[in-house]
Formats: sequence, C-alpha cells, structure tokens
Amino acid sequence: MQTFSIPKSLKENMIYTFCPGCDHGVAIRLIAELLDEFGLKENALTAASVGCSVFLYNFLDVDCVEAPHGRALACATGIKRAQPDKFVFTYQGDGDFASIGLAESTHAAARGEAITTICINNTLYGMTGGQLGPTTVLNQITTTSPHGRNREYHGFPLKMTEHIALCDGTAFAARVSLDSPAAIIKAKKAIKKAFEVQLKGLGFGFVEILSSCPTNWKMNPVESHKHIREELTKVYPLGTFKDLTEGL
Amino acid sequence: MEKVLLKGNYAIAKAAIKAGCSCYFGYPITPQTEIGEYLSEAMPALGRGYVCAESEVAAINMVMGAVATGVKAMTSSSSCAIGLMQETMSYAASDELPVVLISVMRAGPGLGYIYPAQGDYNQAVTGGGNGDYRTIVLSPSTVQDSIDLTYKAFYLAQKYRNPVILLSDGFLGQMMEPAVLHDYPYDEIDNSSWALTGAKDRGARQIRSLEVNQEKQNAHVYKLFEKYALIEKEEVSYEEENTLDADILLVAFGSMTRNIKAAARKLREKGLKVGTFRPVTLWPFPSKRLLELSETIKNILVVEMNMGQMTKDVKLAVNGNAKVYHFGRPTGKWVNVDEIVQATLNLGGVSYANI
Repeated sequence: MQTFSIPKSLKENMIYTFCPGCDHGVAIRLIAELLDEFGLKENALTAASVGCSVFLYNFLDVDCVEAPHGRALACATGIKRAQPDKFVFTYQGDGDFASIGLAESTHAAARGEAITTICINNTLYGMTGGQLGPTTVLNQITTTSPHGRNREYHGFPLKMTEHIALCDGTAFAARVSLDSPAAIIKAKKAIKKAFEVQLKGLGFGFVEILSSCPTNWKMNPVESHKHIREELTKVYPLGTFKDLTEGL
Repeated sequence: MEKVLLKGNYAIAKAAIKAGCSCYFGYPITPQTEIGEYLSEAMPALGRGYVCAESEVAAINMVMGAVATGVKAMTSSSSCAIGLMQETMSYAASDELPVVLISVMRAGPGLGYIYPAQGDYNQAVTGGGNGDYRTIVLSPSTVQDSIDLTYKAFYLAQKYRNPVILLSDGFLGQMMEPAVLHDYPYDEIDNSSWALTGAKDRGARQIRSLEVNQEKQNAHVYKLFEKYALIEKEEVSYEEENTLDADILLVAFGSMTRNIKAAARKLREKGLKVGTFRPVTLWPFPSKRLLELSETIKNILVVEMNMGQMTKDVKLAVNGNAKVYHFGRPTGKWVNVDEIVQATLNLGGVSYANI
C-alpha cells in the first residue's frame, strides 16, 4: 500500500516560506519526487534564480549556485559544460526566465543544452509585490499596471512554451498547471519527460507551470486556481508543444 | 626553453590551456577576439568546454557556473563589454568563486573605439559591481608577462577563491614579440571542501550571496576583508629600476611601462637621475613601496593612457611626501618616449597636467 512520505530529495526540518495557496510548494515537491524516482539527488546540480523561485534551495537537498537575475541558464550551461555527466536543472520564475533572462533562456534552448528548466508562470513579479511582467495578461491589474494591462500602452504578453518549442535544440516543451489533482498528475508526467530528454541527451527540456499567486492576485487559493483554469488557459493553453521522445 | 614569436592575445590563450583551463566562454570584441578564435579550435580538440556565448553577460555567468563545480574556467573581453560583466564579478567576489577574466582594454568611454587605451584601470581596480569587494588585478607589460600572469591569475584565483582580472591592453594584445611558453609553474589547489560535486555522503552545498540575516551579511563582508588584508600582505608585486639614487620617478603600468623605461634611459644620458616603477599587481597596489620611495624621491610622473586613474592611487600612496604629476592622453596615439622625456624635463616648470 502506498503511504504518504516526504521525498528524500527534500531537506529535513525545512521551514515553509511561501505564501498560503502558492503553487511553488507543489511544484518543488514534484521535482523532489522525480529526483528521488530517477535517483538523481546525489548527481544533480542546480543554478538558482532570483525571485520567489530562489527559495528552491531552502527545500531541495541539492548542490546549487545562485545565478544573478535572469542568468540561471547561462550559469547552468557553464555547469553542464564543465560537468557533462551531472543532471543540471534550473527552477525559474517567468520574470527571470522570459524578461531579464530571455536571451540566456532562448540560447540555452537553441543550443540544445542538455538541461531541464521548470518555469513558474504566475503572470507577474511576485517577490517584489506584484508588478507587470512579460507574462501579465491583457487587462490584468498589477502594481505597475493599476488600470490593467493595456495592449496599446503596455503591449502583449509573451508565450514562453511556444517560443521555446520553436528552438531546434528543444527536445521537450510543455505547459501545465497545478489547479487540481488531475492537473498535478499531468504536470508530473511533463516534468518527468523534461528530465528524461536530458538523461537521454536529446536536448533542452522545458516545462512552464501556470501557478497561483493568491497574495498578488488578491484572490483566495480556490479563486486563484479557478482563475488559472478559466482565464489564464485561454491565453496560455495547456499541452505539449514539442516532444522528441515520441516515436523513440 | 626556446623563445617563440607570439602575439599577446594568442599567448594568453595558449597559457590558459597550459594552466588547465577546462572551459572558455566568450563573445567577440576587438581587440581581444583572437583569444576566443584560438580557443575555439584548441578547446574542443582537447575535449574541453567552449561556448560562443550569446553575450558577455551570459559568458561571465557561464564561467561562474563552471568554476562553481571546481574546474578552472575563464572569459575574455574588452572595456564596454567588461562593464556588462560587473554584476557577476560582484556575485563571484561574494561567492568566493575563482573566476578569471581577461580584460584587453580599448578606448572609451562608451563604445569608444578599438584604439589601445588604459582607461579601465578604475573599472578593474575599484570594481564596477555593487557592494564592498575586491578583485585581484594583474598587469602585464610584455607578451612574456601575458603568459606568466595568466598562469598567476589562475593560481591566485584558486588560492584565494577570488575573481582575478588580467588587465591587458590593445597594444599588448595585438603585438608580437618573443616569449617562452613554459609550463604552468604552480601547484594545484584542492577545492574539494567547497566545489559543487553533487550532495553525495554530505548535505547540499549552496554557493550564494543572498543573505537575509543582517548579522550574517556583516560577518560575511568582514570575512571577505580579512582575506583581502591577507592578499594585500602576501601578493603585492612590482618592478623598479634605478630608484636608489633617483630624483625623479617615472611610474606606469602595462604597456606604458616599456616607454617609461626607454625614456628613463634617455634622461639618464642627459644626466637626470631618473628611476622607474611599475606595479605588477594593480590590486593589491604597491602603496607601501611607493611611500618608501617618496622618502627620497620628491617628483613622480605617472604616465598612463587615461586621464590619471592610477595617478590618484600613487598620490594616496605617497601621502603628500612627493609631488605627483600625470602625463598621458586617453587614447588614439601611443604616448611615445620623446613625449615622456619632454614631459619629465618640464616637471616643476610648465607641466602638461598637474592634478
């Protein structure tokens, strides 16, 4: 019988520092479960990012170096080129990955670096209190778009998974959510594929996770997940956009 | 060993390979591009890492990732693009990562041009990044120095777990002269106590500069400065000639050292007692020796291809004991020997620039 247990890749006695209802905790747990299932904890290296995602290293018992804002995939490229036999991954927010770090993100994918990236998309800069970011959807109110994102004034949001899937070096790219138990199971399957493409040397593995930010969205956790399900997926459709493992 | 005719930039690249540099990451910019071009052939052939990075920002962060795993790695660039790397230099200093950065100066400010210049003394020595930190700065004046100090850059970076800048310039990078490409002369440093190798049989290691606890942040900076004090005590390096009886001291760094030496010889022929002084380490700066020299030498002319960046440090070093003058220009034209001779003869009379 399967019983609940804490993944070995999570640190013992960690103090949970994310806001109530935030999806970071679920995402990190999925990564920890997969590190356990693949037996990768002792062979994994990560480049930490900046923003709420930086706290990954407070939870995962994995060696890490903290990259400057946006540079996680450059740093991870350096790690992978120096240690090709290690499992290298990054855990980044949408601001880190798609705004300040878009060049590093795109080129790591284009080069086909054997690296796995999990990107938390909560459609704003969470840690600094909810400012407009590259993924903020039209009409969304943030502290720097107080009347909502306006297409004429602020321009359009960026679709990360579609963009990364276009890169020839990308082996797997998918967008998932964590708004229900069924969604979490699908998300884990996608992250597992993003792990596998690295282990098989197929190229860059990428999973974008639509994630709740109840604090900055000014919604409760239930409303936040409903917002993801009913609104965000219209702009950011869920699914697999590229999968080189098909047919293998 | 036999001397071979070598271009300055190639000398650095060849020395990096012999020093055991495992990875090179870079982006083209004149006048240092030969380093990346040479290594693009050599590194893959040796099974080592090489990435044509998408930017200098990416390149320095790739270096940071690689050295965090315990290997030697470097990047090279020039002036305005070195500016792009300063955020990560600050991170690397705080993280105590042995990043090696080759800086081959061109003209500035801004995009400037590919003319040689020495306008990045401040950028290298005082650091362009945020916070209280130091980078070791080594200054070659010949192609031979470019080899020797590339070796030293890797060694000191590992020894002190600190970023090191090799501050070359467009003259040295582009000129050819005979040099001996000897073997890496230093012992390898054991970095098994801190390198990221995977959390096997131990807890995870974190190399990070985020510190939310004020006390810990303060303690970290004090610890860094204890290390900097040790580096200042142990690693000051300089070269001086004919200073014993000198009335006038010519001071220069990098390629300008060659011209003050030639000018001093001409001035000695004219009967002036002129000595020369060249800091090899720009940080730690040889302040103590300059202060000693200022007990007997009361006129110092600092020749540099900038508006007096090192002159300020010489003034601080001699603490009012001697008159310190600057002679030079920002770029465009070599400050030649006859100009330096004339500027020296004019000291105390019509000076070119008395700051």
